[in-house]
Amino acid sequence: MGRDLDSRDLPDNARGIMTTIETGARTKFLEYVMTLGMTTMEGRGFYYPVDTAIGRDDRLYVVNRSLDIVPRGVRVTMCDIDSEYYGTFGSFGEKDGQFIWPSGGAIDSRGRVYVSDEQLHRISVFDREGAFVSRWGSHGTGEGELDTPSGIAFDNQDNLFVSDTYNHRIQKFTADGRFLLSFGSQGHGDGELNLPWGVTLDANNNVYVANWGNDCILKFSPQGEYLASYGTSGSGDGEFQRPSSVAVDGEGYIYVADWGNERVQVLDPEGGFAMKLRGQATLSKWAENFLSVNVEEGAARARANLELEIDYSVIHPHEESSHIEKFFWSPVSVKLDRAGTLYVTESNRHRIQVYKRIAS
Amino acid sequence: MGNSDVELIAHLMRRAGFGATRDQLDFYAAQGYEATAEELLNPVDERRMGDDLIRRFHPELSGMMGPNASGENWLFRMATTTTPLQEKMSLFWHGIFATGYPKVIHGKALSDQIRMFRRHGMGSFRTLLVELSKDPAMIIWLDNQDNHKGAINENYGRELLELFSMGVGNYTEQDIKECARSFTGWTIANREYMELRSQRDSDWPYGRIAWHFEYHPEDHDDGEKEFLGQRGCFNGEDVIDIICQQQATARFISRHMYSFFVANEPPVPEWPDTPPLDEQAIQQLSQAYLDSGYDITAMLRVLFNADFFKSRSSWYTKVKSPVELVAGVLRLTGEFDRPRREILDRQLQAVYMGQFLNNPPSVEGWHEGTDWLDTGSLVERVNFATQQMGDANKPGVQAMISNVAANAVGPISPERLVGECLDQMGAMSVSEDSRRVLIDFASMGGDVALGAGNSDEQSRRQIGAVLQMVASTQEFQRS
Amino acid sequence: MTSVNKDRSLVVIELVGGNDALNTVIPYNNGLYYNFRPTIGIPQEEVLALDQELGLNPNLAPFKTLWNQGRLAIINGIGYDNPNRSHFRSRDVWYTAEPEKISAEGWLGSVIRDLDPAGENVLTGVNFGRGLPRALVCKGVPVASVGNLETYGLMPDLQDEMTRRIALDAFSRMYGPTPGKDAVAQVLGQAGTDALKGADILRTAPQLYSSDVEYADNPIAQTLKNVAQVMCAGLGTRVYYARHASFDTHSNELLAHAKLWQDVSTAISDFTADLTEHGLEKDAVILVFSEFGRRIQDNGAGCDHGSGGVAFVIGEPVNGGFYGEFPSLREEDQLDGDLHFNNDFRSTYSTILNKWLGLDPDPIVNGQFEQFDFISS
Repeated sequence: MGRDLDSRDLPDNARGIMTTIETGARTKFLEYVMTLGMTTMEGRGFYYPVDTAIGRDDRLYVVNRSLDIVPRGVRVTMCDIDSEYYGTFGSFGEKDGQFIWPSGGAIDSRGRVYVSDEQLHRISVFDREGAFVSRWGSHGTGEGELDTPSGIAFDNQDNLFVSDTYNHRIQKFTADGRFLLSFGSQGHGDGELNLPWGVTLDANNNVYVANWGNDCILKFSPQGEYLASYGTSGSGDGEFQRPSSVAVDGEGYIYVADWGNERVQVLDPEGGFAMKLRGQATLSKWAENFLSVNVEEGAARARANLELEIDYSVIHPHEESSHIEKFFWSPVSVKLDRAGTLYVTESNRHRIQVYKRIAS
Repeated sequence: MGNSDVELIAHLMRRAGFGATRDQLDFYAAQGYEATAEELLNPVDERRMGDDLIRRFHPELSGMMGPNASGENWLFRMATTTTPLQEKMSLFWHGIFATGYPKVIHGKALSDQIRMFRRHGMGSFRTLLVELSKDPAMIIWLDNQDNHKGAINENYGRELLELFSMGVGNYTEQDIKECARSFTGWTIANREYMELRSQRDSDWPYGRIAWHFEYHPEDHDDGEKEFLGQRGCFNGEDVIDIICQQQATARFISRHMYSFFVANEPPVPEWPDTPPLDEQAIQQLSQAYLDSGYDITAMLRVLFNADFFKSRSSWYTKVKSPVELVAGVLRLTGEFDRPRREILDRQLQAVYMGQFLNNPPSVEGWHEGTDWLDTGSLVERVNFATQQMGDANKPGVQAMISNVAANAVGPISPERLVGECLDQMGAMSVSEDSRRVLIDFASMGGDVALGAGNSDEQSRRQIGAVLQMVASTQEFQRS
Repeated sequence: MTSVNKDRSLVVIELVGGNDALNTVIPYNNGLYYNFRPTIGIPQEEVLALDQELGLNPNLAPFKTLWNQGRLAIINGIGYDNPNRSHFRSRDVWYTAEPEKISAEGWLGSVIRDLDPAGENVLTGVNFGRGLPRALVCKGVPVASVGNLETYGLMPDLQDEMTRRIALDAFSRMYGPTPGKDAVAQVLGQAGTDALKGADILRTAPQLYSSDVEYADNPIAQTLKNVAQVMCAGLGTRVYYARHASFDTHSNELLAHAKLWQDVSTAISDFTADLTEHGLEKDAVILVFSEFGRRIQDNGAGCDHGSGGVAFVIGEPVNGGFYGEFPSLREEDQLDGDLHFNNDFRSTYSTILNKWLGLDPDPIVNGQFEQFDFISS
């Protein structure tokens, strides 16, 4: 802990332990269901998706970051678990309803869609069908001002918690952007934040933060008092590398996108390690369609061995994920729907892997 | 510490790195020239903008589906690293083992090749050639996946000898064939699918899949070969052993190194008929290569400590490549203190000037020296340098202006102002002609009065204007 | 009106990303077309018929007018052997007229060299856009790359005219003639002097120009307006290059492709009207190309990279009509699911080079290719 994130990086091979491939579950209660999406620059599909918000009707709103040279890839894609496609909204730019660096998504009790923007330092609001409603937020370090807002989540009173990344704090606003509360400060110590990313709330409105730069999950009370920290730096069970997102289910199980380790971990309500997932993507409906149109590509793919044993020159989960397509690659967001089904959005694979609880 | 020492270290940093700020030069000057050279040669404590931070804000810079990502990633590194020689050497090898996007169509594979240069580019030349021959991007770039037992494809075998190690005139056409035979069976995994994806520019359905080397013994021709007068059932490694022993290889690499770090040699095709600019220097470097068992760092150590490198007559004799110019400006402006969208524009600026990282015009690499310069590219180069150095919002520019202001109290003359600005831009020295023009330019605003209350803003503007003008000099285009 | 350059010039417009040829020139009476394109097929009644078999996508309406005037040559089935479906490689093939190996020299770079061997005019070739496409690259051939004609030149960020003049004056002294200096200084000095000269000339173009044509507010229209401005200024420019993106319509094709072609076809039509207004219509030929066509079968939202494309040659000097053959859609005639090309793109290049620019095409296109009659020599 405590390495200087902005200027120092570990040598390529210093992290040592490769993530094991099997789930290694102590309590296996998640099973793979399916994969959604595929990469497309526009329209039906995802392009470097960075978050998925799930509506009350279980519609998925996938926030696409795209890349800076492809502005038309910036959009929110609407679809559902049956791979039905409902269109996109939002585009690249600074006008109302546009984004530069869209980051997090959340949905209020009325079904409105909120999207944060790390470049414009604001929150944009859309209705259920993607029509622009309003926007708020301004750049700065003062109370209620934002520097690079990333993860966002609502409590059950329709107040929005914003991960205010470069101010190293969490801020709480009303749905229309009135400042209510700010907590957390920069540091490497207990309860301190370092470039926080994902944020979520449990049934009691406790706030969980993916404390990205400090490799842990922090838990705060609804009033912002520091309550607990889960995990330390590392690649072992219950250890994290740059966690990007966190979700908590009705029983208090904590799901963590362990981004730097390219995996998802589940902690039990006491914070103990419960299980981990490395990813087991299969072809989505859209992907199958692509391969059926591009026949020779489908045929060559069928002949290829995509799960080779590889003698890596650089030992790192990121490296492994770049080679083995089914593994999570940049699992950036974990979200639960009302039934407790888990959606893992992977920015580098442009898809969502879906896992469901096994009835216990 | 005299200023001539600072200027010499500034020369070292321009050539062995991407230039240095005045503050960094003070730090290096305190430890002296030789110690600074040693620090560059032994990159241990690497500090730079971390990959995690880059990937978080620029997912494309780890997914690398497009042609710009690997270059952007590299530029981030050049602009922020504390071990610049490592990046400079990677650029050196990239210029020689020039592998390009249009055929590879895989940013990660190209980026992995640069990473390989970073790890092996300052070690044994033998190891470097072995790794190069196994490099998936290189295999696809020069068709070695089509080089089969009984049906050779000579492309890699030929370029390995002609462009990567010895140069024409030092081997026969038969040697090329035998070399190619030795590399049969060196291919990439899932070759059919991966090659098809490249040919179709396909990142569907789930983004690029990284490549890796695979050796197919059943496709390797293990019969006897005769290569450069030696006989044996050679495999690729054996051929590389023989290549590395050659005097021609020693001279070829030495001449490249001289051209890159000291003074531009003519384009490689002219080498057989044109003697080197400095025969003695080539002999010194070749000797270091052979004495050290092909150790690149040993050659560089000789080079950086040689009079032919340190001599004032070799300063500012080279034209900065576009990437050197851009990275050098970014280190002066200190723009990338955190991930910023502007990295794409900075990468494109180098493209506009004629250098697209990981996309050289052909396997022969870029034509260096004055070939970088034409009217179009010069407009881009001057506009970029002056625009960036004229932006007082950039932290590095702010610091320079403040340093100039802090170094004097009361009015300072145009002569002194120009001197201070040149110093802040990295202990630059300029011709008398340039200096005269700069002083005339600085005189337009009259003496700069510092520390005089409300004139501060005006003074800062005057200082900024001179810094910007320094960025437009011929010397700033040179290294 | 100032003196008008009567030399023939060539305007090349690149449709970046791979234009869907089959939805541009449409076999609207062929049932196979509609079978293969359930999602993105253009309804028969909307197609602008050119003859009994083929018609234009309705978003190319301005091209129908050009067709009726006999100024539109359509080259169907254009491509090259062993088509590459990667944007980057296929683009390079078109740029360098070299499908076999990686080449560093662009065909238009060679054209500029042949038109102005002594390099007397720094503006013989002008590229609109930043960075030079490889088509225009040729060692020792200067080509101006103009991002924005109004602000083209050195140090455009200096807003204040006085400040800028002082800075440019200093620059011209630093980059002035430098007898006795080293080789690098001489090259820098020459390039710097040429840059100032070229910028001074180019910046006069918009001031000299006036027109009744109102170009639309989109990039290709504004670029073609810049081309008209330079052409009207009579600066001796012979080769103009412009690009429009992105035709890479994997998804959302109906909407995206419509907008792209509305912009491009309207801009070209406005440009030809502008040339006519200035009496320049006999001096310019326009070539429109794209690096490849797309798959015959749609993918449910758009279509993927294919081969076999369509090119257009446009202008008053052009003999309008169909050239090449329209490729068959039958499965047995397809090439891996794509339209099978039937004429090498270098035939079109050669025709333009020989019959329009009066150059020897063979060394430029790396071979001898049959020529079309879309221009009478």
